[in-house]
Amino acid sequence: MKNFYLLIKPRFFAFRNQLISSKGGKRKRIFILGGLGFAFCCGMFVVSSRVLMHFQSVEVIGDLVARYLLSMILLTFFSLLIFSHIITAVSNLYLSKDLEFCHSTPVSVEELFLSRSFFTLMDSSWMLLIFGLPVFMAYAYVYRPGAGFYFTLLHMNLAMIIIAAGAGILITMLLVYVFPAQRTKDIIMFIAILMIVALYFLFRFLRPERLANPDSFFSIMEYLSALKAPQSPYLPTQWITETLWDSLTVPGGKNHMFAVTLTWVTALSMVVINVWVAQAVYIAGFSKSQEAKKRHTVGTKILDVFVRCIKKPFGEDLGAIIAKDLRTFFRDNTQWSQLILLGALVVVYVYNFSVLPLDKSPIKLDFLQNELAFLNMGLAGFVLSAISARFIFTAVSAEGEAYWVISSSPMRLRQYLWGKYVYFLFPMVFLAEVLVIVTNYLLDVTCFMMFLSSIAMFFMVLGIVALGIGFGALYANFKYENIAQLSVGFGGVLYMIVSSIFIAIVIVLEAGPVYILFTSDASGTTVTAFQWLLIIASFLMVVLINILAIFKPMKMGLKALREYEG
Amino acid sequence: MIKLIDLTKVYKGFCAVDEINIDVKAGAIFGFLGPNGAGKTTTIKMMAGIIKPTSGQIIINGMNLAEKPSAVKQYVGFIPDRPFLYEKLTGFEFLLLIAGLYRLDHTPLFDHRISELLELFDLSHWKDELIESYSHGMKQRLVMCASLLHRPGVLIVDEPMVGLDPRAARLVKGIFKEQASNGTTIFMSTHSLEVAQEICDEIAIIQTGQIVAKGTSEALRRMAGVDGDLEHTFLKLTEGKRLGHEKFLSAH
Ligand SMILES: Nc1ncnc2c1ncn2[C@@H]1O[C@H](COP(=O)(O)OP(=O)(O)OP(=O)(O)O)[C@@H](O)[C@H]1O
Ligand SMILES: [Mg+2]
Repeated sequence: MKNFYLLIKPRFFAFRNQLISSKGGKRKRIFILGGLGFAFCCGMFVVSSRVLMHFQSVEVIGDLVARYLLSMILLTFFSLLIFSHIITAVSNLYLSKDLEFCHSTPVSVEELFLSRSFFTLMDSSWMLLIFGLPVFMAYAYVYRPGAGFYFTLLHMNLAMIIIAAGAGILITMLLVYVFPAQRTKDIIMFIAILMIVALYFLFRFLRPERLANPDSFFSIMEYLSALKAPQSPYLPTQWITETLWDSLTVPGGKNHMFAVTLTWVTALSMVVINVWVAQAVYIAGFSKSQEAKKRHTVGTKILDVFVRCIKKPFGEDLGAIIAKDLRTFFRDNTQWSQLILLGALVVVYVYNFSVLPLDKSPIKLDFLQNELAFLNMGLAGFVLSAISARFIFTAVSAEGEAYWVISSSPMRLRQYLWGKYVYFLFPMVFLAEVLVIVTNYLLDVTCFMMFLSSIAMFFMVLGIVALGIGFGALYANFKYENIAQLSVGFGGVLYMIVSSIFIAIVIVLEAGPVYILFTSDASGTTVTAFQWLLIIASFLMVVLINILAIFKPMKMGLKALREYEG
Repeated sequence: MIKLIDLTKVYKGFCAVDEINIDVKAGAIFGFLGPNGAGKTTTIKMMAGIIKPTSGQIIINGMNLAEKPSAVKQYVGFIPDRPFLYEKLTGFEFLLLIAGLYRLDHTPLFDHRISELLELFDLSHWKDELIESYSHGMKQRLVMCASLLHRPGVLIVDEPMVGLDPRAARLVKGIFKEQASNGTTIFMSTHSLEVAQEICDEIAIIQTGQIVAKGTSEALRRMAGVDGDLEHTFLKLTEGKRLGHEKFLSAH
């Protein structure tokens, strides 16, 4: 175990050095991020305690719904944990750059495996802390349990994380072992597809829409029994839900020795099984993953034609870069499998609109639909920002250490940045319009709103993409370990925030005039000169903000790139 | 052909290159020597236009790099110390990318030039493989191919011999000599003193950001007052500031 400690020490040192050596700018960043995280937690806490208090005020079914919600939350966490463990296990156990060194030292397989699993667990479960803590605290705030609850919460969550880590790492090890060597990198692809299927089942399993709509049950009795029904006695989350819920609501807490023992025995046996499997297959799998580099390219002909068509209008030098980007994109499984994942996200988003019980809503008015259309625009804008945080914000950094090829070439950086902008603009505009038009169609909005939102969306995308490229250049990092991590780093989070603010401002500025027009239309009065002035003023503001959002970040990014010095 | 005037680079209060002045004649091979961390790579990156100098001028072929970056870069070929490339492209596709960036016309003659260069660097069999499967030396050779593609008038090279096998190293030496005799100016940093002695017309030694000696290897030897090969000369000339040079620098 001495070696285990030695192996995990470098991470702590790196973390400590970062904290100590970070002065001025860096430390400010940490504070900003910490502040944002804290604000987020507070928001989550307030919203969840509101919801819970609302439930508590409802007779009979209130507590049941709250309990059902708890089990849903735990199940969601559990599945998210397994997924994130799979993803981080691939990089921590097989792809990380320092592994070659670790494997060359005389430490034992078990110690190496356990230390890497420890990193995996750390990397993938801190999210749970940020998202989970405020929710659990909201439960505690509303139900006011004794101190025993906090203890139960702590150790049951720890057990859940260990079980999820065990499952995720086990799946990863077996996948890497079973797949042939040249295909190890395709595992990420495989996992992506697995995740989509799982996402679908999770949704079908939970059926969140039926909670919102009690009418879909024949009787209140049926509704109650649907809520009470345990999901499955074999799921660890079921045991955890039971224990947590009882220590929340029953004073003194019921004795749940059986569930607690079951959970911990599962967790510990997971660890033992993992170590056994690691002894058998980890080294073999690692050696395989080192051979994963491909020699031959497949499907080059089709790709060639495709690339030639797209790069044509861009001229010689830009065209060359775009050809390079396209080829890299299609040859890198980790990239386009994430696109599939994002596609699934979009489908789920649209699907949610189609199951909204709009016709059951008590205030059935055109008005609601139009309000929803604005909300929808905001949500679509947010989805687009999330997508561009992953693909557009990272577009400049994606050059990686090969960036010297660009910066030592005679191509102008201005042209380079704007070229990237135009390149991403087309798919994003397409996606945005599809999103808005389909969801608006499902919402059944008026023609005028349809027209307005598709125009507004078009201009919004111009800003969102420019912000992405600009911030990406401003916070360019060509020395990343894993490019996906950049979009959740400081620059990426900042981009998401700025982009959300931009979207919110534009929507508020547009909603005002539309409200004026609609009310005057509904009441039959004419719009006064002053109101026209307001309308024109806010549209001018929209134009101004849009121009600002396009040119300002690009300019800042260009300046930062020119002064980049590694 | 190449003129560095009071070139300085300060990294956050740390002076990596300190007012160096260098003048290289057209068609010469200029060797840039110095211990680790002396500022060679920093100087070369500034000359390639990858990082901006804090102050001073870089003039190549009569043009100022700060004023006409595109024209200068079009004229220069650059070979970095470590061959980071786009791993998901094939060698051939990488050369096409370079051709696009340097706006080379796509003529049959050009295709001929690519295959000629690939043949020269012994990469013809590998041109349709992904770069991620190349060895270090193969990547290095591919970079050299790319840098010669647009027939540069000035070659800026950072440690060309690292990772090359003896045959490739010999090949590269030959190519440099031939390029120079065709009028190309070569600015090259290296740790290999034999290479410097063998092919460089003039040598500068840089230490802690400052030029400590400059001239032909003969002149340097006289300056150091030692007999024997360049190794002795180098060790003699760079021994002075060895101790405590960190302190010396942070005083800036
Ligand atoms: N991005 C950077 N930020 C801060 N300091 C840097 C940076 N890059 C280089 N330095 C410092 O500048 C000095 C010169 O580095 P440089 O890479 O130019 O040395 P070199 O002469 O090429 O050395 P070597 O022979 O090892 O390649 C070193 O002290 C190094 O620590
Ligand atoms: Mg160097």
